[in-house]
Amino acid sequence: MMRNLLTLRQISRCTLSTTARRQVQNKVPEKQKMFQEDNGIPVHLKGGVGDALLYRFTMALTVLGTGYVVYELASAALPKKK
Amino acid sequence: MARQAHAYHMVDPSPWPLTGAVAALLMTSGLAVWFHFNSTVLMTMGLALLLLTMYQWWRDIIREGTFQGHHTPPVQKGLRYGMILFITSEVFFFLGFFWAFYHSSLAPTPELGGCWPPTGIIPLDPFEVPLLNTAVLLASGVTVTWAHHSIMERERKQTIQALTLTILLGFYFTALQAMEYYEAPFTIADGVYGSTFFVATGFHGLHVIIGSTFLAVCLLRQIQYHFTSEHHFGFEAAAWYWHFVDVVWLFLYVSIYWWGS
Repeated sequence: MMRNLLTLRQISRCTLSTTARRQVQNKVPEKQKMFQEDNGIPVHLKGGVGDALLYRFTMALTVLGTGYVVYELASAALPKKK
Repeated sequence: MARQAHAYHMVDPSPWPLTGAVAALLMTSGLAVWFHFNSTVLMTMGLALLLLTMYQWWRDIIREGTFQGHHTPPVQKGLRYGMILFITSEVFFFLGFFWAFYHSSLAPTPELGGCWPPTGIIPLDPFEVPLLNTAVLLASGVTVTWAHHSIMERERKQTIQALTLTILLGFYFTALQAMEYYEAPFTIADGVYGSTFFVATGFHGLHVIIGSTFLAVCLLRQIQYHFTSEHHFGFEAAAWYWHFVDVVWLFLYVSIYWWGS
Protein backbone atom coordinates (compact mmCIF):
# COMPACT_ATOMS: atom_id res chain seq x y z
CA MET A 1 0.00 0.00 0.00
CA MET A 2 2.78 2.42 1.03
CA ARG A 3 4.79 1.50 -2.06
CA ASN A 4 1.81 2.27 -4.29
CA LEU A 5 1.32 5.62 -2.55
CA LEU A 6 5.01 6.47 -3.00
CA THR A 7 4.93 5.50 -6.71
CA LEU A 8 1.84 7.65 -7.17
CA ARG A 9 3.70 10.57 -5.60
CA GLN A 10 6.63 10.13 -8.01
CA ILE A 11 4.34 10.02 -11.03
CA SER A 12 2.45 13.11 -9.92
CA ARG A 13 5.79 14.95 -9.86
CA CYS A 14 6.29 14.00 -13.51
CA THR A 15 8.22 16.81 -15.23
CA LEU A 16 10.88 17.34 -17.89
CA SER A 17 13.35 14.59 -16.97
CA THR A 18 10.89 11.76 -16.64
CA THR A 19 9.20 12.58 -19.93
CA ALA A 20 12.61 12.53 -21.70
CA ARG A 21 13.04 9.30 -23.56
CA ARG A 22 16.59 8.61 -22.53
CA GLN A 23 18.42 10.01 -19.49
CA VAL A 24 21.94 11.32 -20.04
CA GLN A 25 24.32 9.10 -18.10
CA ASN A 26 27.01 10.60 -15.92
CA LYS A 27 30.22 9.77 -17.74
CA VAL A 28 32.44 12.07 -15.67
CA PRO A 29 34.02 9.29 -13.53
CA GLU A 30 35.06 7.41 -16.71
CA LYS A 31 36.51 10.57 -18.21
CA GLN A 32 38.34 11.30 -14.97
CA LYS A 33 39.92 7.86 -15.04
CA MET A 34 40.93 8.23 -18.71
CA PHE A 35 42.46 11.67 -18.31
CA GLN A 36 44.26 10.83 -15.09
CA GLU A 37 45.98 7.76 -16.53
CA ASP A 38 49.74 8.02 -16.05
CA ASN A 39 50.73 7.54 -19.71
CA GLY A 40 52.68 10.75 -20.34
CA ILE A 41 50.28 11.90 -23.08
CA PRO A 42 49.64 15.67 -23.01
CA VAL A 43 46.07 16.77 -22.36
CA HIS A 44 45.44 17.93 -25.93
CA LEU A 45 46.00 14.39 -27.23
CA LYS A 46 44.80 12.38 -24.25
CA GLY A 47 41.23 11.92 -25.48
CA GLY A 48 42.14 9.43 -28.18
CA VAL A 49 42.57 9.18 -31.96
CA GLY A 50 40.09 11.99 -32.64
CA ASP A 51 42.32 14.41 -30.75
CA ALA A 52 45.34 13.49 -32.86
CA LEU A 53 43.43 13.88 -36.13
CA LEU A 54 42.02 17.26 -35.17
CA TYR A 55 45.45 18.40 -33.97
CA ARG A 56 47.11 17.35 -37.22
CA PHE A 57 44.47 19.12 -39.28
CA THR A 58 44.84 22.27 -37.20
CA MET A 59 48.64 22.21 -37.44
CA ALA A 60 48.49 21.59 -41.21
CA LEU A 61 46.25 24.63 -41.57
CA THR A 62 48.68 26.63 -39.40
CA VAL A 63 51.74 25.71 -41.48
CA LEU A 64 49.98 26.12 -44.84
CA GLY A 65 48.46 29.39 -43.71
CA THR A 66 51.80 30.79 -42.59
CA GLY A 67 53.36 29.80 -45.90
CA TYR A 68 50.51 31.39 -47.84
CA VAL A 69 50.74 34.64 -45.84
CA VAL A 70 54.48 34.88 -46.51
CA TYR A 71 53.82 34.29 -50.23
CA GLU A 72 51.03 36.88 -50.42
CA LEU A 73 52.94 39.51 -48.46
CA ALA A 74 56.09 38.90 -50.49
CA SER A 75 54.25 39.17 -53.79
CA ALA A 76 52.44 42.30 -52.57
CA ALA A 77 55.74 43.87 -51.55
CA LEU A 78 57.64 43.05 -54.75
CA PRO A 79 56.97 45.24 -57.78
CA LYS A 80 55.05 43.45 -60.51
CA LYS A 81 56.58 43.53 -63.99
CA LYS A 82 54.05 44.62 -66.61
CA MET B 1 54.75 8.96 -10.25
CA ALA B 2 56.13 12.19 -8.68
CA ARG B 3 53.52 14.34 -6.99
CA GLN B 4 53.74 18.11 -6.96
CA ALA B 5 54.21 19.74 -3.54
CA HIS B 6 52.03 22.77 -4.34
CA ALA B 7 48.44 23.55 -5.34
CA TYR B 8 49.22 25.34 -8.60
CA HIS B 9 48.68 24.11 -12.14
CA MET B 10 51.76 23.41 -14.24
CA VAL B 11 50.14 23.02 -17.65
CA ASP B 12 51.16 20.44 -20.26
CA PRO B 13 52.90 21.88 -23.35
CA SER B 14 50.19 23.06 -25.71
CA PRO B 15 50.12 24.02 -29.40
CA TRP B 16 47.09 26.31 -29.11
CA PRO B 17 48.83 29.60 -28.31
CA LEU B 18 50.82 29.17 -31.54
CA THR B 19 47.83 28.22 -33.67
CA GLY B 20 45.89 31.13 -32.13
CA ALA B 21 48.66 33.58 -32.96
CA VAL B 22 48.84 32.30 -36.54
CA ALA B 23 45.04 32.61 -36.75
CA ALA B 24 45.36 36.29 -35.77
CA LEU B 25 48.08 36.75 -38.42
CA LEU B 26 45.97 35.08 -41.11
CA MET B 27 42.83 37.07 -40.24
CA THR B 28 44.56 40.44 -40.24
CA SER B 29 46.62 39.92 -43.39
CA GLY B 30 43.61 38.17 -44.91
CA LEU B 31 41.60 41.33 -44.31
CA ALA B 32 44.24 43.38 -46.14
CA VAL B 33 44.37 40.84 -49.00
CA TRP B 34 40.57 40.98 -49.25
CA PHE B 35 40.58 44.77 -49.46
CA HIS B 36 43.39 45.01 -52.01
CA PHE B 37 43.24 41.81 -54.04
CA ASN B 38 39.59 40.74 -53.73
CA SER B 39 40.33 37.26 -52.28
CA THR B 40 38.80 35.92 -49.07
CA VAL B 41 40.79 32.65 -48.91
CA LEU B 42 43.37 33.83 -46.39
CA MET B 43 40.81 35.45 -44.09
CA THR B 44 38.61 32.34 -44.19
CA MET B 45 41.60 30.16 -43.30
CA GLY B 46 42.29 32.47 -40.38
CA LEU B 47 38.71 32.25 -39.17
CA ALA B 48 38.73 28.45 -39.43
CA LEU B 49 41.98 28.30 -37.49
CA LEU B 50 40.55 30.64 -34.85
CA LEU B 51 37.49 28.43 -34.34
CA LEU B 52 39.64 25.27 -34.17
CA THR B 53 41.96 26.90 -31.64
CA MET B 54 39.11 28.10 -29.43
CA TYR B 55 37.37 24.74 -29.50
CA GLN B 56 40.49 22.71 -28.62
CA TRP B 57 41.94 25.15 -26.09
CA TRP B 58 38.71 25.44 -24.09
CA ARG B 59 38.13 21.67 -24.44
CA ASP B 60 41.55 21.16 -22.84
CA ILE B 61 40.75 23.57 -19.99
CA ILE B 62 37.58 21.60 -19.25
CA ARG B 63 39.65 18.40 -19.25
CA GLU B 64 42.23 19.92 -16.92
CA GLY B 65 39.61 21.20 -14.46
CA THR B 66 36.75 18.71 -14.50
CA PHE B 67 38.60 15.50 -15.38
CA GLN B 68 42.10 16.03 -13.99
CA GLY B 69 41.25 18.09 -10.88
CA HIS B 70 43.83 20.80 -11.54
CA HIS B 71 41.46 23.67 -10.62
CA THR B 72 42.27 23.84 -6.92
CA PRO B 73 41.11 26.89 -4.89
CA PRO B 74 44.22 28.99 -5.64
CA VAL B 75 43.98 28.10 -9.34
CA GLN B 76 40.30 28.98 -9.36
CA LYS B 77 41.13 32.31 -7.73
CA GLY B 78 43.49 33.01 -10.62
CA LEU B 79 40.78 32.12 -13.13
CA ARG B 80 38.39 34.49 -11.36
CA TYR B 81 40.92 37.34 -11.51
CA GLY B 82 41.45 36.56 -15.17
CA MET B 83 37.76 36.73 -16.04
CA ILE B 84 37.27 39.94 -14.07
CA LEU B 85 40.24 41.57 -15.81
CA PHE B 86 38.97 40.46 -19.20
CA ILE B 87 35.49 41.88 -18.56
CA THR B 88 37.11 45.10 -17.32
CA SER B 89 39.00 45.38 -20.62
CA GLU B 90 35.69 44.94 -22.46
CA VAL B 91 34.16 47.73 -20.36
CA PHE B 92 36.93 50.03 -21.60
CA PHE B 93 36.29 48.87 -25.16
CA PHE B 94 32.66 50.01 -24.92
CA LEU B 95 33.64 53.18 -23.06
CA GLY B 96 35.41 54.29 -26.23
CA PHE B 97 32.25 54.03 -28.30
CA PHE B 98 30.21 55.81 -25.66
CA TRP B 99 32.85 58.57 -25.68
CA ALA B 100 32.45 58.86 -29.44
CA PHE B 101 28.67 59.07 -29.10
CA TYR B 102 28.71 61.74 -26.41
CA HIS B 103 31.44 63.71 -28.21
CA SER B 104 29.22 64.05 -31.28
CA SER B 105 25.83 64.31 -29.60
CA LEU B 106 26.54 66.78 -26.77
CA ALA B 107 27.76 69.46 -29.19
CA PRO B 108 26.24 68.70 -32.61
CA THR B 109 28.01 70.52 -35.44
CA PRO B 110 26.35 72.91 -37.93
CA GLU B 111 26.72 70.19 -40.58
CA LEU B 112 24.24 68.10 -38.58
CA GLY B 113 21.85 71.02 -38.22
CA GLY B 114 23.14 71.96 -34.78
CA CYS B 115 20.77 69.45 -33.19
CA TRP B 116 20.63 65.82 -32.02
CA PRO B 117 19.24 63.68 -33.56
CA PRO B 118 20.70 65.35 -36.67
CA THR B 119 18.37 66.89 -39.25
CA GLY B 120 16.77 64.21 -41.40
CA ILE B 121 17.36 61.34 -38.97
CA ILE B 122 14.23 59.56 -37.73
CA PRO B 123 15.32 57.82 -34.54
CA LEU B 124 13.74 54.56 -33.33
CA ASP B 125 10.99 54.95 -30.74
CA PRO B 126 12.66 53.99 -27.45
CA PHE B 127 9.37 52.77 -26.01
CA GLU B 128 8.73 50.15 -28.67
CA VAL B 129 11.13 47.26 -29.52
CA PRO B 130 14.09 48.77 -27.61
CA LEU B 131 12.02 48.75 -24.40
CA LEU B 132 11.02 45.14 -25.05
CA ASN B 133 14.69 44.30 -25.56
CA THR B 134 15.45 45.89 -22.20
CA ALA B 135 12.80 43.73 -20.54
CA VAL B 136 14.12 40.62 -22.29
CA LEU B 137 17.69 41.16 -21.07
CA LEU B 138 16.61 42.07 -17.54
CA ALA B 139 14.49 38.91 -17.43
CA SER B 140 17.47 36.88 -18.65
CA GLY B 141 19.48 38.31 -15.76
CA VAL B 142 16.87 36.93 -13.40
CA THR B 143 16.81 33.50 -15.06
CA VAL B 144 20.61 33.17 -15.02
CA THR B 145 20.56 33.97 -11.28
CA TRP B 146 17.83 31.35 -10.84
CA ALA B 147 20.09 28.88 -12.68
CA HIS B 148 22.99 29.72 -10.37
CA HIS B 149 20.95 29.17 -7.22
CA SER B 150 19.65 25.91 -8.67
CA ILE B 151 23.21 24.67 -9.25
CA MET B 152 24.15 25.54 -5.68
CA GLU B 153 21.05 23.79 -4.36
CA ARG B 154 21.71 20.66 -6.46
CA GLU B 155 18.52 21.11 -8.45
CA ARG B 156 19.62 19.56 -11.74
CA LYS B 157 16.31 19.88 -13.59
CA GLN B 158 15.72 23.49 -12.55
CA THR B 159 19.27 24.41 -13.53
CA ILE B 160 18.69 23.03 -17.00
CA GLN B 161 15.32 24.80 -17.31
CA ALA B 162 16.62 28.16 -16.08
CA LEU B 163 19.74 28.02 -18.24
CA THR B 164 17.69 27.06 -21.32
CA LEU B 165 15.31 29.96 -20.67
CA THR B 166 18.24 32.35 -20.35
CA ILE B 167 19.64 31.22 -23.69
CA LEU B 168 16.23 31.48 -25.37
CA LEU B 169 15.85 35.04 -24.08
CA GLY B 170 19.28 35.80 -25.51
CA PHE B 171 18.21 34.46 -28.91
CA TYR B 172 14.97 36.42 -28.69
CA PHE B 173 16.94 39.64 -28.08
CA THR B 174 19.18 38.90 -31.07
CA ALA B 175 16.19 38.17 -33.32
CA LEU B 176 14.39 41.36 -32.25
CA GLN B 177 17.53 43.42 -32.77
CA ALA B 178 18.11 41.90 -36.20
CA MET B 179 14.58 42.85 -37.16
CA GLU B 180 15.12 46.38 -35.84
CA TYR B 181 18.30 46.67 -37.92
CA TYR B 182 16.41 45.59 -41.02
CA GLU B 183 13.50 47.96 -40.44
CA ALA B 184 15.50 51.00 -39.28
CA PRO B 185 14.90 54.18 -41.34
CA PHE B 186 18.62 55.05 -41.16
CA THR B 187 21.84 53.17 -42.00
CA ILE B 188 25.43 53.08 -40.77
CA ALA B 189 26.29 55.46 -43.62
CA ASP B 190 23.96 58.17 -42.30
CA GLY B 191 26.56 60.44 -40.79
CA VAL B 192 27.87 60.26 -37.28
CA TYR B 193 24.43 59.25 -35.96
CA GLY B 194 24.46 56.11 -38.05
CA SER B 195 28.08 55.35 -37.22
CA THR B 196 27.72 55.69 -33.46
CA PHE B 197 24.39 53.88 -33.38
CA PHE B 198 25.34 50.82 -35.41
CA VAL B 199 28.93 50.43 -34.15
CA ALA B 200 27.91 50.64 -30.47
CA THR B 201 24.77 48.49 -30.77
CA GLY B 202 26.46 46.22 -33.29
CA PHE B 203 29.36 45.35 -30.99
CA HIS B 204 26.86 44.91 -28.19
CA GLY B 205 24.88 42.45 -30.33
CA LEU B 206 28.06 40.52 -31.07
CA HIS B 207 28.67 40.26 -27.34
CA VAL B 208 25.12 38.97 -26.82
CA ILE B 209 25.86 36.23 -29.35
CA ILE B 210 29.16 35.40 -27.64
CA GLY B 211 27.45 35.37 -24.23
CA SER B 212 24.63 33.15 -25.48
CA THR B 213 27.21 30.73 -26.90
CA PHE B 214 29.09 30.66 -23.60
CA LEU B 215 25.83 29.92 -21.76
CA ALA B 216 24.96 27.20 -24.29
CA VAL B 217 28.30 25.50 -23.61
CA CYS B 218 27.49 25.69 -19.89
CA LEU B 219 24.11 24.09 -20.58
CA LEU B 220 25.78 21.18 -22.39
CA ARG B 221 28.25 20.80 -19.51
CA GLN B 222 25.46 20.93 -16.93
CA ILE B 223 23.60 18.16 -18.79
CA GLN B 224 26.80 16.11 -18.76
CA TYR B 225 27.20 16.46 -14.98
CA HIS B 226 30.35 18.61 -15.12
CA PHE B 227 29.21 21.10 -12.47
CA THR B 228 28.97 20.42 -8.74
CA SER B 229 27.11 22.52 -6.19
CA GLU B 230 30.46 23.80 -4.87
CA HIS B 231 32.53 24.03 -8.04
CA HIS B 232 31.07 25.50 -11.22
CA PHE B 233 33.34 28.38 -12.14
CA GLY B 234 32.71 28.03 -15.90
CA PHE B 235 29.07 28.80 -15.25
CA GLU B 236 29.89 31.72 -12.93
CA ALA B 237 32.18 33.21 -15.58
CA ALA B 238 29.38 32.91 -18.16
CA ALA B 239 26.91 34.51 -15.76
CA TRP B 240 29.29 37.42 -15.04
CA TYR B 241 29.77 37.96 -18.77
CA TRP B 242 26.01 37.86 -19.29
CA HIS B 243 25.38 40.47 -16.58
CA PHE B 244 28.06 42.67 -18.19
CA VAL B 245 26.25 42.38 -21.55
CA ASP B 246 23.01 43.33 -19.81
CA VAL B 247 24.55 46.40 -18.13
CA VAL B 248 26.08 47.60 -21.42
CA TRP B 249 22.62 47.38 -22.99
CA LEU B 250 21.13 49.47 -20.18
CA PHE B 251 23.70 52.19 -20.83
CA LEU B 252 23.08 51.94 -24.59
CA TYR B 253 19.34 52.17 -24.07
CA VAL B 254 19.46 55.18 -21.77
CA SER B 255 22.15 57.06 -23.77
CA ILE B 256 21.56 56.29 -27.43
CA TYR B 257 17.96 55.16 -27.65
CA TRP B 258 16.32 57.33 -25.00
CA TRP B 259 18.42 60.47 -24.39
CA GLY B 260 19.66 60.38 -27.98
CA SER B 261 16.15 60.59 -29.43
